[in-house]
Amino acid sequence: MLDDVIKAYNEAVLDTDRTRALQIVSDAVAQGVSPEDIVFNVVIPGLDLMVKALSEGFDTNLAQHFMTSQIAANVTEKMLESFQSPPEIIGHVVIGSAVGDLHTLGKRIVIGCLKAQMIEVIDLGVNVPAERFVSEALAHNAQVIGVSAMMVHTARGENGAIKVRRLLQEQGLEHKIKLVVGGAPFRYDPELYKVVQADAWAENGVSALKVIMDCIQEVKNNDHEHG
Amino acid sequence: MTTSMDRLAAAANGKIIDHIPVFCNLLDQGARELGLSIEDYFSKGEHVAEAQIKMQKKFGHDNVWSLFYVGKEAELFGCKKICYATDGPPNVEDYIIQNYADIECLQVPDDLSAHPKFAETAKCLQILKREVGGKVPICAYLTASMSLPAILMGMENWMELLMIGPVEVRDLLLEKCSDFFRKEIEAYRNAGADILVYADPYGSTDIIPMKLFKDLSLKWMKRDLEPGGLNGVVYYVGGARLNSVADEVIREVGIHAYYPGPLDDVTESMRIINGRALCAGVINDIKLLDWTPGQVREEVRRIVQGGLQVNNKFFFGTVVMPYGIPEENIKAMILAAKEFGRTTDG
Repeated sequence: MLDDVIKAYNEAVLDTDRTRALQIVSDAVAQGVSPEDIVFNVVIPGLDLMVKALSEGFDTNLAQHFMTSQIAANVTEKMLESFQSPPEIIGHVVIGSAVGDLHTLGKRIVIGCLKAQMIEVIDLGVNVPAERFVSEALAHNAQVIGVSAMMVHTARGENGAIKVRRLLQEQGLEHKIKLVVGGAPFRYDPELYKVVQADAWAENGVSALKVIMDCIQEVKNNDHEHG
Repeated sequence: MTTSMDRLAAAANGKIIDHIPVFCNLLDQGARELGLSIEDYFSKGEHVAEAQIKMQKKFGHDNVWSLFYVGKEAELFGCKKICYATDGPPNVEDYIIQNYADIECLQVPDDLSAHPKFAETAKCLQILKREVGGKVPICAYLTASMSLPAILMGMENWMELLMIGPVEVRDLLLEKCSDFFRKEIEAYRNAGADILVYADPYGSTDIIPMKLFKDLSLKWMKRDLEPGGLNGVVYYVGGARLNSVADEVIREVGIHAYYPGPLDDVTESMRIINGRALCAGVINDIKLLDWTPGQVREEVRRIVQGGLQVNNKFFFGTVVMPYGIPEENIKAMILAAKEFGRTTDG
């Protein structure tokens, strides 16, 4: 039965049909599927499938990314209310738009996907100074700082990701906190993340999920190595 | 002597006089040209016109712009706050639509030509028309009704309303944006703009699914453009990809010129359009920040030869050139487009 739920849920997500997706989940729960199964065996694998499809060149659009993220976040939030015990948080991320940048859509897509994956996200909003990215990351023990920038000058500017990198270097935090960037300029120049000295970048909000999870894992591995 | 306007008219008929038209979208660079801050520069229509004419003479491309910055359209709707940068385009800082109730109250200005926020644009157009009118195509940037809400309420909120919001609220907003568009295109035409760039990122399947494009984008496109006609209109998807929708727009709307995104395959764009309209080959201009002039030349060669191998209803273009592009790369790009765009049938 779970296989049917997974198939139907994935189709609804791909069709950007939130009402149908929520109904499928609701029907499944009514028929005895546990909230834990919905999150860990339907929602998260659904996200993984989308990430994999994107990495293999499957052509999707921004609206699909938005709906994938929103449906996953909505379902997870609702299911969490009925969990037998609180799930394990697998990592912490602070995210915001670079200084001078007021765009929010990409960030919202990333946040929705991360939350569904049991990653705690601290949203710093827009126009975030580099110092705040770093201080909030420290305050929340975040493994990843995510900087979103939709314009060339905010992506490449001296006070954006480049400054976050400089602060991480100066404070000796590079093995503890990874810097991930995203936004339109990075899509048009896939090498740009190196120019701004980020550890990684993601082509879209959904793909950011895997990139950020890999960074979290890398930091955790570093922690083990450093005792 | 051949003018830029002659080149464009020839290209529209599948001919090349001396070289293909070369469009270069220099906007914020005008501030540097006049030695002004970006905020000071955009405060006067005279500044924009002067810099556009200077830059066109200096670099030798085939167009000038009356566009200040995209947020101007939000100002015409009542936006009060623009965020200025020192090294990039101004942005809308306060969205005039904060909630769905604001959509009900949104007022489309009666007469855009007389709107105080249009006054500097009108001044700019008047000067451009006087100085280069009839010789150099004068471009205007007009956001389609499907895409305008993004600068009135933010991309995030527009995406939410579009995908999961109340349909009647969405349609009310689209209707108001379309009413605005109809007045705006008329005001620009009356003020002397020749090339009306119909900017519609939400008319690309990079942004929305094909079904929504067919159900909504096409419908509102037709409504936007119906009263004033298609003369001078260029379909521009804001740097997104065009190829998946180009045929549909040609058949359903009939626009005569198309501006693909830099990630489109230009040869495929030309094959899809297949001589039914003029098509641009567009460079990924973000790369011009870091490329050498030699790399720029090679990329321009690839694009221009890729387009002209199909037919000559072709011109070269940029997206919105980032402020920091070195002048030597702008020069290399334009020279190369002229060199490789000089071919065959004359």
